[in-house]
Amino acid sequence: MSLPAPTGVFVRPRVRLRPIRVAEIVALLFFAAAMGLPLVFLLVGSFNLASPGQAAIYGLGNWTSAFSDPTTLSALWMSFLLSSVRLIPAMIIAVIFAWLIARTDMPGGNAIEFICWLAFFIPDFPLTLAWILLLDPNYGFLNLLAQKLPWVDGPLFNPYSFWGIVWVHTSAGGIWFKVILLTPVFRRLGASLEEAARVAGANTVAMLRRVTLPVLAPMILAVAVLSFIRGLQSFNTELLLGIPAGIYVYSTRIYDYIRREPASYGEATALGSIFIVVLGALLFLYWRFLSGKRKFTVVTGQGYSVARVKLGKWRYVAMAGCIFYIAVMTLLPLIFLVIGSFMRRYGFFNISSPFTLAHWQSLLSDPIFLVALKNSLLIATMTSVGGIFLYSAVAYLLVSRRMVAAPLLEGLCWLPHILPGILLGLGILWLFLATPLRFIFYGTVWGIAMALMLGDSPVTTQAFRAGFMQLGADLEEAARVTGASWWYTYRKILLPLLAPIAGAVGLMNFGGALTSISIPVLLYSHQSRPLAILLLEYSVTGELERGAALGLLITAIICAMMLIGRKLGLRLSGM
Amino acid sequence: MRTLFAPLFVLLWIAPSAAQTRASEKEWNAVVEAAKKEGKVVVAGSPDPVMRNEIIPKFKERYGVAVEFLAGRSSEISARVKTERAAGIYSVDVYLAGPDTTATTLYADKIIDPLKPLLTMPEVADGSKWKRGKIWFADPEESFAVRAFSSVATLMFINTDQVKLEEMRAAKDLLNAKWRGKISTEDPTTTGSGANAAARFYHDQGEEFVRKLYLDQKAVRTRDRRQMADWLARGTHPICLSCREDDVRPLIKEGFKILEIFSLTDMPGSINGSPWMLTLADKAPNPKAAQLFANWILSREGLGIYARGYGSVGLRTDIDESNLNPGNLPKKGIKYFDDTDWSWIVSGRQEYRDKVWKLLKGK
Repeated sequence: MSLPAPTGVFVRPRVRLRPIRVAEIVALLFFAAAMGLPLVFLLVGSFNLASPGQAAIYGLGNWTSAFSDPTTLSALWMSFLLSSVRLIPAMIIAVIFAWLIARTDMPGGNAIEFICWLAFFIPDFPLTLAWILLLDPNYGFLNLLAQKLPWVDGPLFNPYSFWGIVWVHTSAGGIWFKVILLTPVFRRLGASLEEAARVAGANTVAMLRRVTLPVLAPMILAVAVLSFIRGLQSFNTELLLGIPAGIYVYSTRIYDYIRREPASYGEATALGSIFIVVLGALLFLYWRFLSGKRKFTVVTGQGYSVARVKLGKWRYVAMAGCIFYIAVMTLLPLIFLVIGSFMRRYGFFNISSPFTLAHWQSLLSDPIFLVALKNSLLIATMTSVGGIFLYSAVAYLLVSRRMVAAPLLEGLCWLPHILPGILLGLGILWLFLATPLRFIFYGTVWGIAMALMLGDSPVTTQAFRAGFMQLGADLEEAARVTGASWWYTYRKILLPLLAPIAGAVGLMNFGGALTSISIPVLLYSHQSRPLAILLLEYSVTGELERGAALGLLITAIICAMMLIGRKLGLRLSGM
Repeated sequence: MRTLFAPLFVLLWIAPSAAQTRASEKEWNAVVEAAKKEGKVVVAGSPDPVMRNEIIPKFKERYGVAVEFLAGRSSEISARVKTERAAGIYSVDVYLAGPDTTATTLYADKIIDPLKPLLTMPEVADGSKWKRGKIWFADPEESFAVRAFSSVATLMFINTDQVKLEEMRAAKDLLNAKWRGKISTEDPTTTGSGANAAARFYHDQGEEFVRKLYLDQKAVRTRDRRQMADWLARGTHPICLSCREDDVRPLIKEGFKILEIFSLTDMPGSINGSPWMLTLADKAPNPKAAQLFANWILSREGLGIYARGYGSVGLRTDIDESNLNPGNLPKKGIKYFDDTDWSWIVSGRQEYRDKVWKLLKGK
C-alpha cells in the first residue's frame, strides 16, 4: 500500500534559536577547536612511530615504551602521594586564611591578603633555593642555629626528602593559590546564614562546619581538584629537592621525554594521558556532588548582609597566627631571595665583598629588557581582561542550567589543565599555524595572549562558576522584569557582584602571563619576546642572581597591579 | 737569464692569485650588499648571554643587519621549527645548536642546507686561517655542519680542601669507599652532560665500574647545574663529575680551592665542539643575510668573541688564546677522545647511554 501523495505545500516549521542556545553552540565550537583540537593533534602524534622527517607510521610503540619504563609507575605513585599528602594541610590552612580574611573581624585582614598575593607570585625556583640555604643539612642557616642548642646533635632539617618537598610546597605558591581563589568566595558569602546559625546556638566551629563550608563547597572542591592536578604536574621543587634524594615524580619523567635529543613528544603525550583519566574521575565526582537542586546560593535579591563574624579576643590571636605563618613560610625565604639578588654569588656570604648591584644593573641595561617589559605588560593585560570576559560568560552558561551540553563544555574548559605546559604550547602552536588567522596570532603578542588565555581556562572558569552559583536567580529575574536586557543585567548586576572574583582571577592571570614560559617559548618572535623568555635564558645559562632580580621585579609589577586592581574591584563591587 | 725569468715567474704566479682575490672580494661584497637589503637574519639556538650581549650588537654595528635571536632549549626550538615547516612557514635562517641537536635533529630531519659553498668570506675561505688547514665540517658529507671549536673538556672537578690531587689519579680512585656520598653528577638517567659522562665511563671502564660508581658510591644526582657547583665549593659533595666550567671558574676566581682534572691515568682527556655547531636552514627567508652571518661568525672577529666569551678554544689560527685556561688547549701529540665525533653522537654515545639507563633505572 502506498501512501497518498502529499497535497498542498509543506511548511517547514521555523526553528527559533534562543540566544542562550546560540551562545552554547558558539562556545562549544570555539572550545572544541581551541582546546580539543590541540589535544587530538597531540594524541594522534603520539601514535606516530616514524622517524623525524619520514612518512607517518602509526602504532602503539610510544605508549608501550613510555609505560614499560620501570621508573614510570614508581614516579606516578610518588606524584600521587606527594600531591595527596600536601593537599590536605594546604586546603585546611587556605580555608582558615580565607575565612579569617574575608569573614571575620580579624585586624589587618586586607594587609594579610595583600601579602598572600605577593607570596603567590614569588618565583618558585629561587624560593626553593632560598629554602635550601635555610634548611640544608650541611650549611642551612636554621640547621646551624639549631645546632647551637645543647640538646641538638646533627641537622634537624633536611629539604632533600619527601617531607622537605611537602614543606616547601606548603610555603610556595600552592597554598596562596588556594587562598586567593577562596577569599573572594568567602567574601561574597552573606552573613544571614551564619547569623541564623548563631541564633540557633551554634558556636564558631560548628557554624563553619555545618553552614559556611557546605555552602562554599563548589569552590572549595574546585580548588581542591585544581590543586591536586597542579600538584601532579608540579616540577621545579621536585627537581631541586627530590632528585638528590632519589625521589622522581611523574612530571619529571614527562619532562625527560621532552628534553631528549630528538625530543620524544609521543611518549610524553602518552604519559600525559594519565592526567586525562585522573581529571575525568575527579570531574565525575565533582559533577555528582554538585548535581541536584541549586543549594549553594548565598546572594539573593532578598537582602544581603556582609557583616563579619566577631572573634572577640581571639581576633588578635588569629592575626598573630597568620603573621607567624607568613613570617616563617614566606618572609624568611623571601628575605634570602631579595638578598640573593644583591649577592655576587647567591648564598655565598663568605666570599670577599659578597654584595653587589651588578645583577640589577645588568638586568635593567639588558638591551632587550625594555621591549620585553612592554610586550609582557601588553600580553598580561590582554590575557587578564580577555579571560575575565570570556570565562565569566562561559561560567554563566555552565550554571544557567539551560545548556544541553554543559558537561562537554566544562570538560573542554578543563583540558588545558591536564597537559604539561610545553605540550599545550605545542598543541596551540599547531592550531595557530593550521588556521588562516596565523598571520595575526603567530609570533605576535596577540597570539601569545590568546594562548595564555586558553591555558587559564580551568582556574578562571571554575572561579566564576563558583561565583555564579552563589548568586540567586531572582537577581536576574528582577532585572528582566524591570525591562533590563541580558547584557545590561550582566554588566550592571552580575559582573559587579562578581568583581572580587574577577579581580582575583584577573590578577592571577596577569601574573601568570608575566611568568609563564612554556607556552610563549613556542610562539614568540623577536618582536614579541616577553620577560618570561628572558627568565628562561637566565635560568638555562645559570644566571641565577639576575633571574632572581627579574623574578622580584615581576613580583613588584604584580604588586602594583594588585593595588590598582583591588581599588578598582572593590569600587565596582561597592565593598 | 735566470734572474730575468724569476720576476716573470713570480708575476705569473701572483697575478692570477691577486685576480682571484679581487674576484672573491667582489663576490663577497655583493653578498654583503644583498644581506643589507634583506635587513635581518633570524638565528635560533640555546639561550646565550654572549649572543645577546656581544654578538648581536657587534654584527649590527659591522653590517647594519639586525639579528633576531630565537632562544630556547633544543627540544623547544626543534618542535617549533618542525611544526612551522609542516605549515609551510620558514622563519629561521641560521642555527647555532649544540652538537647533539645538530646531528640528531637538524641533520637527521634534513632541515638544513649545505653550507660549504656559501663560506666565501675571504678570511673564512682561506684554509691557512684554520688549525686543520681547512674548515672542519663534522657531518658525513662534510658540507652541512661546521665545527668551530675544539676544547679539552674537564673530566671532573675536585675541592682540594677535602680531596687531594694525588687521591684522584685514576678512574678506580673514584670507587674508594672514602668518597661514598661525596660525588655529585648531573642526573645520568636523562639526556644531558650527566648521561654523556656516564656513557663515557661505560665506554672506557665498563658496566661494573658504572654500577659501582653511580650506585654503590651513592653518587648524588641533580638536574640543576648551579646546585652542583655550589655543592663543590662548599665541600658538601667535593667531587663533581659534570659541573660546567663556566659555573665553576668564577668560584675558583673567588679563591675556592677547586681543581679541574682533565684526564686520568686510565682515561685520556676528551675534546668537544661546544658551545655550538653552525648550520644554515634550508629555505632560509633571508638567505644572503644568513650567508653573511654564517661567514662572519666564523671570522676572526665573530669566532674570537665567542671563544673569549665562553672560554672555548676556537679552531682559527688567528684568535688570541692568551686569556683561555691552558688546560682547555689541546696539546700536540696527545690523542684525545672526541666527545663531539659525529658517529659517537649519533650512535656510540646513544648506545652506551641506553646501557647506562638500563643499568641505573633497572636497579
